[in-house]
Amino acid sequence: MTHDAASVRALLGEILAALASASESDETRSLRERLERFVAHSDDALTSAVLLEASAAPLGAMRVFPKEARGLVGAKANAIKQAALAALAEEEQAALARALAAERSHAGFDATLPPPRQACGSLHPITQVTRELEDLFTSMGWTILDGPEVETEHFNFDALNISPDHPARDTMDTFWVRTAPGDTRLVMRTHTSPVQVRAMRRLQPPFRAIVPGKVFRNEALDASHEHTFHQMEGLVVGQHVSVGHLIAAMKTLLRGIFGREIEIRLRPGYFPFVEPGFELDARCPFCTEGCSVCKRSTWIELLPCGMVHPNVLKAGGIDPEQWTGFAFGLGLSRLVMLRFGIDDVRHLLAGDVRFLEQF
Amino acid sequence: MKISYRWLARHVDLSGTSAVDIARELTLSTAEVEGVERFLPHLCDVTVGHVVQREKHPDADKLSLCRVDVGQGEPLQIVCGAPNVRAGLKVVVATAGTTLPGDFKIKKSKIRGVESNGMICSERELGLGVEHDGIWELGENLTVGARLGAALGLEDWVIEIDNKSVTHRPDLWGHRGIAAELAAILRRPLLPLDLTLPSTGGGASVGVRIESDACSRYLALRVEGARATRSPLWLKSLLLAVGQRPIDLLVDLSNFVMLDLGQPNHLFDARRIGPQGIVVRKARAGETLKTLDEVERKLEASDLLICNGDEPVALAGIMGGEGSKVTDDTAQLVLEVAAFHAPTVRRTSARLGLRTDASARFEKTLDPELVPLAAAHLVRLLQAEQPAVKLTAPATDVGQWTSAAKTIRLRGERVRMLLGADLDDAAITDILVRLGFGVAKDGAGLAVRVPSIRGTKDISIEQDLVEEVGRIYRYGNIPEIPLAGILVPPPRDERRRLVRRIEDRLAGSARFHQQISYSFVPDSTIEKLALQSTPHVEVANPITEGASRVRRSVVVSLLPLLEPNRRRAAEVRLFEVGKGYEPVSAAEPTERHEVALALARPARKANARFDDTSLALLQGVVEDLVRSLGLEACSWSRCEAAPSWAHPGRAAALRIGARDALVGEVAAIEPGLARELGLAGEVESDVALARVSIDALLDAAPRARRYSPLPQFPSTRVDVALALPVERSAAEVMAALERCGKGLVRGLELFDVFSGERIGEGRRSLAWHVTLSAPDRTLNEADVKKFLERVEREAVQLGGELRGE
Ligand SMILES: [Zn+2]
Repeated sequence: MTHDAASVRALLGEILAALASASESDETRSLRERLERFVAHSDDALTSAVLLEASAAPLGAMRVFPKEARGLVGAKANAIKQAALAALAEEEQAALARALAAERSHAGFDATLPPPRQACGSLHPITQVTRELEDLFTSMGWTILDGPEVETEHFNFDALNISPDHPARDTMDTFWVRTAPGDTRLVMRTHTSPVQVRAMRRLQPPFRAIVPGKVFRNEALDASHEHTFHQMEGLVVGQHVSVGHLIAAMKTLLRGIFGREIEIRLRPGYFPFVEPGFELDARCPFCTEGCSVCKRSTWIELLPCGMVHPNVLKAGGIDPEQWTGFAFGLGLSRLVMLRFGIDDVRHLLAGDVRFLEQF
Repeated sequence: MKISYRWLARHVDLSGTSAVDIARELTLSTAEVEGVERFLPHLCDVTVGHVVQREKHPDADKLSLCRVDVGQGEPLQIVCGAPNVRAGLKVVVATAGTTLPGDFKIKKSKIRGVESNGMICSERELGLGVEHDGIWELGENLTVGARLGAALGLEDWVIEIDNKSVTHRPDLWGHRGIAAELAAILRRPLLPLDLTLPSTGGGASVGVRIESDACSRYLALRVEGARATRSPLWLKSLLLAVGQRPIDLLVDLSNFVMLDLGQPNHLFDARRIGPQGIVVRKARAGETLKTLDEVERKLEASDLLICNGDEPVALAGIMGGEGSKVTDDTAQLVLEVAAFHAPTVRRTSARLGLRTDASARFEKTLDPELVPLAAAHLVRLLQAEQPAVKLTAPATDVGQWTSAAKTIRLRGERVRMLLGADLDDAAITDILVRLGFGVAKDGAGLAVRVPSIRGTKDISIEQDLVEEVGRIYRYGNIPEIPLAGILVPPPRDERRRLVRRIEDRLAGSARFHQQISYSFVPDSTIEKLALQSTPHVEVANPITEGASRVRRSVVVSLLPLLEPNRRRAAEVRLFEVGKGYEPVSAAEPTERHEVALALARPARKANARFDDTSLALLQGVVEDLVRSLGLEACSWSRCEAAPSWAHPGRAAALRIGARDALVGEVAAIEPGLARELGLAGEVESDVALARVSIDALLDAAPRARRYSPLPQFPSTRVDVALALPVERSAAEVMAALERCGKGLVRGLELFDVFSGERIGEGRRSLAWHVTLSAPDRTLNEADVKKFLERVEREAVQLGGELRGE
């Protein structure tokens, strides 16, 4: 049975008739008149029904009706009430459904309308890559070390087996700090390697450490040369540490950087603080047949490395007969450029927000 | 350095091995090869032709009309302008389609109305010489139609070796040294070379006196009867292949010996060496010498000179003097072969900007034992070309040198351990012998005899020999071994942890961009900050004038970035984590770890909220940052010693902990500096700067982090506005409000600051939202009333009043 407006109205007619046929007291007359006004003035039978319910109290006063009419009036009134409530519930349901349907309508929405945004901050790309590497190495038990950018001649050169006559000490390559004659001679460190010896003096072997940081070379600026750039030194000292360990560690490093196995090759390279010394080439991760990054060779010269020179171990107070080690120097700036496809090293330190906000 | 494949083949059999193969072998075992290029590729395109007929060109007196047999079909008709063309001659023909040096494409053409099907070439047109005296007359025995390159054996490849990869190997600066490496790698013998000096006459030798220990050995030899003739093709082509321009036989052979054995040498015109003989001495300050390149060189006392008596005739190891050079009419020579002190040569060469092939080699510390070998080599080559050449007097060979030959003990065990490769002693011995070392058993190890040529610089300790074995064995054959051992977690690096949290906070919720700057500060910035007289770490040789100072504080690095970035964006938010250095007399400088922040926004609008300033915002950023680190409580105070970048009156100092340690400063930019930096006018900006000391933060104690129970009873908010003399700081007012709350104040939030007529001269109003609550009950109106009464009294005590609603 559906309780639409018409059936409610019909029920109301019946109750009005019942009221009229009963012997009319003052109260029943007033009740009847009120109900007639509802019906007359309201188009909406449901509203009337609700009002009727609201006036349930008089209906409850059945005693105003003659005894014989009470049953009929009561039953009818209850029927009206139930019907009205059911109709109301249905109507509400329908109205909700209509409202939801309207709300769900997608008309007028443009998903591509730019949303209001707050400008973001950013971490420098060098910071990002450094952190990745730090996390990789610390997860393997390596220590991270720091060293001064203004370094003594001793740590930057002497302790690293770089002879007093070595061309690297020339002013063409090294920024020398003005010091008074006789004072400790200082340089802007030309590599992160001085921290090797500082580390040896601080840590007890065996140990593994990396040293990310800023280094300086007296070089003219162009798209691929900077006088200030970032490196990450690595150093392992232990018993029976060999070239084989170096190879394994470098492969792990490259897996960490590129997220997959990268073929490597070691070839001779000369650096006074390692012996034997190597250049490590990685199979170009960007091509299979040669590209501009690898200069068509399919190999990228990635990092110099080697077995720590006995003189360096001695300078660090470590007995080279008992301990051996390997070291590597990763060009962080270059790695950042490779990673993000940056074509000009000068962007890295220039401080242009249009560059920084890309990362 | 350029290496010729054909030249190498003079010293080692390279059959079956291409130039590309050699490049790969050298790369993996010896030195870095930068590339391999074909030498004059067109030599394999041009052919040997036979001029079968020559007539005069019908319309041009100086042109010939030739018919040339090139071994294919009918002879070609070719117009030739050379005076020496004639019938019967074997010539070089470039047919149509051939490209000659200078991108010169040979085409069929008409010359004065007559068809010409190619070109008869001169040596110069082929890139083989500088002479231009007509076409090249080939030997009669050459086969017509043959490719010239093959017919004359001129096919060659040029292998470019990265000089930097052989700085430690003086022995590799000549073809024979590279060939010796290849012999070892390829297991082929190094071909013998006779390097004994031919017998000499008994005449008077050249007198030589060495007055400086920068020369350890000097050999002088009279060579008579030599003439500066044109060099033969074999010599010219080899020199051309390695990028040397052939000059004449004497110069070319001198160069050839240098490029063959790696030992530079020099030829003087014997007429320029007087009876006093040769003196090797240091220069005197103010002395000059005109070198072969006709530049007058100013000398210094550190330069080494070769002198005729006292008169300088050459800059030792670098370049000869113009006055003593060999000329066309030179018949008697003095040959110099010597060993000079490497750093002396390098410094003079660097100072004068005069890098020569000779200086590049002497810089590497050459083997003094090469001296007589190079002299013999040159004489023998010269006599082979000019049999009349005679040595009329014995060589003078003086000096104090020590052979660099030595014996090093090598333990096979050490080789296996360091390389991580399973090589037995026999394999180790085999490799070392191939490399020219002498190996003998020495107890459980090996006694390795290092020849002098390898001992000057490269090989001095056992580990050097390990490298020799490893590189020939090939590092690629070494198996990888994972690092083993007990994994001990590294000690916590507190600074790095702190820096990461700072970076994350600033780049994250604070929305700043991280910058990393140069450590050098331009003088222009120093001047703008008026820091010229403040001591800085300073480099003696800056990259450019005015960029010698190293920053003391990271903040200065951000200053020059503000204006250009502000031109491109309304708001600039930058931070940098880095180091500053303060010089310390006679010691290493003090290193400071800092965070610098800069916030630049368009100039403040008149109706902006009281706290809508860059300074207030940046104070908020810094305070939030420090609070987020979970350290002791911090507080603001007026900055008494404002940094040079800070507005003297608008600078706040942040202090932390019980000791009130200074953490940093936040300040509006110094107004004069703002103008100097271009932050006035067109890009007028409201700029605030901050410096936060990471060192100070590391020193601060961490705050004990404890849970406090959530309030059980609702809180009440009361707004109060106090009109007080401007000298009353907000800190004082906050303390007063706390006092008035008698422990009920849960929060204080400043929501307005204003001054003006309504408030009165010299006063300002601070309006606060005060949150009150008690832990054990709900506050009622009486509590609030009491609080307000106390505030009213306090306000009067502070010299002002509580303002009505
Ligand atoms: Zn590639």
